[in-house]
Amino acid sequence: MNLRAIGCNVGSAPVGLREKLAFDDAKLRRALAELGARYGVEAVILGTCNRVELYLARPEDGAPIHAPLVAEFLGEAHGIPADAVLPHLYERADADAVRHVFRVACGLDSVVVGEDQVAGQVKAAFDAAQSLGATGPLLNALFPAAARASKRVRTETGLAAGQVSVASAAVGFLREVFDRFTDKTVLVIGTGEMGRLTLTHIKELHPAAVLVANRSPERAAAAAAECGGQAVPWDQLDDALVRADIVVSTTGAAEPIVPKRRFAEKVLARRGRRKIAIFDLAVPRDFDPRIDDGDRVCLYNVDDLNRIRDQQLAERLRHVGPAEAVVAEEVEKFVLDWNRRKDGPVIGRLTEEVNRVRDGVVGPLLEKLNGRLTAADRAYVEGAFRLFQNKLLHGPIAALREAGGEAHGGSLRDALMKLFGLKG
Amino acid sequence: MTVSPLQGITHACFELSYLLAFGLEVARLIWPAAGWRVAALSCGFAGVFAHTAYLIFNQPTPAAPYGSLLLLAWVLALFYLYRTVHYAKQPWAVFVLPVVIGLVGLSLALATTAAEAAPVDVPAWLHGERFWGAVHGTLLLLAAVGISVGFLASVMYLVQARRVRNKVNPARVVPLLSLERLETMNRRAVNFAFPLLTAGLFVGTLLLRADHGTAENWLSLKVLSTAGLWVVFLVLLYLRYATNVPGRRLAALSVAAFGLLLVALVASHPFVPGGDR
Repeated sequence: MNLRAIGCNVGSAPVGLREKLAFDDAKLRRALAELGARYGVEAVILGTCNRVELYLARPEDGAPIHAPLVAEFLGEAHGIPADAVLPHLYERADADAVRHVFRVACGLDSVVVGEDQVAGQVKAAFDAAQSLGATGPLLNALFPAAARASKRVRTETGLAAGQVSVASAAVGFLREVFDRFTDKTVLVIGTGEMGRLTLTHIKELHPAAVLVANRSPERAAAAAAECGGQAVPWDQLDDALVRADIVVSTTGAAEPIVPKRRFAEKVLARRGRRKIAIFDLAVPRDFDPRIDDGDRVCLYNVDDLNRIRDQQLAERLRHVGPAEAVVAEEVEKFVLDWNRRKDGPVIGRLTEEVNRVRDGVVGPLLEKLNGRLTAADRAYVEGAFRLFQNKLLHGPIAALREAGGEAHGGSLRDALMKLFGLKG
Repeated sequence: MTVSPLQGITHACFELSYLLAFGLEVARLIWPAAGWRVAALSCGFAGVFAHTAYLIFNQPTPAAPYGSLLLLAWVLALFYLYRTVHYAKQPWAVFVLPVVIGLVGLSLALATTAAEAAPVDVPAWLHGERFWGAVHGTLLLLAAVGISVGFLASVMYLVQARRVRNKVNPARVVPLLSLERLETMNRRAVNFAFPLLTAGLFVGTLLLRADHGTAENWLSLKVLSTAGLWVVFLVLLYLRYATNVPGRRLAALSVAAFGLLLVALVASHPFVPGGDR
């Protein structure tokens, strides 16, 4: 195996440098074409907000690529001095590189351990490189194997379970209350940052309508335009609450804007049997907590959401060990499979070569003894030579197969080829 | 005449299969692994197969508590299998199987006379009063299926509502359907069961009149509990469509309706021969 994973991530490079090293579509195409043409490598470039990594594979007999060359290449591609890039690059070789890509795909190398977006980003990077013809046998085997490892980690461990942001915790709660969202109306009260973030997650559920209410009509109009919603005058807040199924509230009001009595009389009484989920993310709170009945009215405050996020982060850390074990198992399997794949042709050629030698010896011998041997004698002689050949080759072939999963597998293969005069 | 080995199937075969399936499903919740599901489903399938074979070969009369409980358990077992196969992540088995196991156990406890366990003369159903008796029984059995499904949805609703109220982390508990979905399921079950229950009761009333039922018959536990069940359903429908009563109360009422259903099923029949205990 001649594989390198070279790049930088959130731990090794500041965000400023990572931004400069980011590849857009056009740069990515150029870079992949250039890597193939200039260095004769298979290549996949993975770029996320947390990392820029190049996965490079060469034929076994080719010289491996190292970080300085990649620093030079990245510097050239982005117009940065290579010296500014090199100190921030890390390099993983062969089985370590396999482990690295598997860990990345599983979310074990992410800032938020177990995040599930990265698996999709790894797949997208591979798909892009493959569609441009930049991949070859090793990377074509490596990335699907990384996807399998990622799937195993997600199904066999709890690493990716639960919500690890306040906004996604809100969506998790919503799914406990509602089944469908395409017929639901979302009301956003105030224009706080957390409210916007939560709305972004809720909008992924494709609600039917988004209403925005704010004391300032201008701010309401601006926020509504930003999220594709409809501004609601502040004095019609009760009507909007009657219409809404999901409420996200983040005003900076010093007192609750919806006391219990107002909610019961002006909202709940007019809503019929419809349920309402309210995310009161304001401090001090916007809604009187007594309106929560866990049935028709499900009210969550910022502490509820923070608690879920913290629990989930702690829970995920418990699953890192089992996830690493799955990765180790998959790495070993991949390396073994890959080496076996490489050993197959060598064993084939070795057997062919020894067959040829044997035929060269047995053929003339039988010719010389022609007329003095019965058919049974001929078969016995041929069988004896075949047995001798098998016994002779058993040791080297077994040793090669055994070494398949080990680091010295490649050198043993080379030695065998030299000893038996096999051509590469 | 050859005897099929399936004729040797007893209650124990399917009751134990269901118990095993339930145990495996609980184990799956505690120690999640793919193997548990396969094993649990295999036991579930085996139970339903044995249950079906038992019903085919023994043909217990649905007019008697024994037969009606066994038939209801069978329909619910099919419901459990369908839901478990299609919704792998939801713990349907944990909610449905105890009801199935309970109904089979109850039927066993009530199978005290040989007359009840005796096969029903099926063609006799097609004649006159027998025919209307069969219609009455079928309608009530179908209504019982609806009531049971409504009960299951209600129990799940109560569990889910409790979780929502306590703000339980959804990732730390076994996933259940949303409150909205469970409420819809309960509503549909009630809407399905009520007309069948009404029609079944109507046919039963006519049959009792034709049989010149005595006051004792009219006031029998079966008749009273079935009528009570109908009234509970009427209240349920009124509360659902004419008031804003919270879903939890409706769910609690649906659970009570299931209790009444059990009383109605267990109670002896006032006028069907062999329908008493």
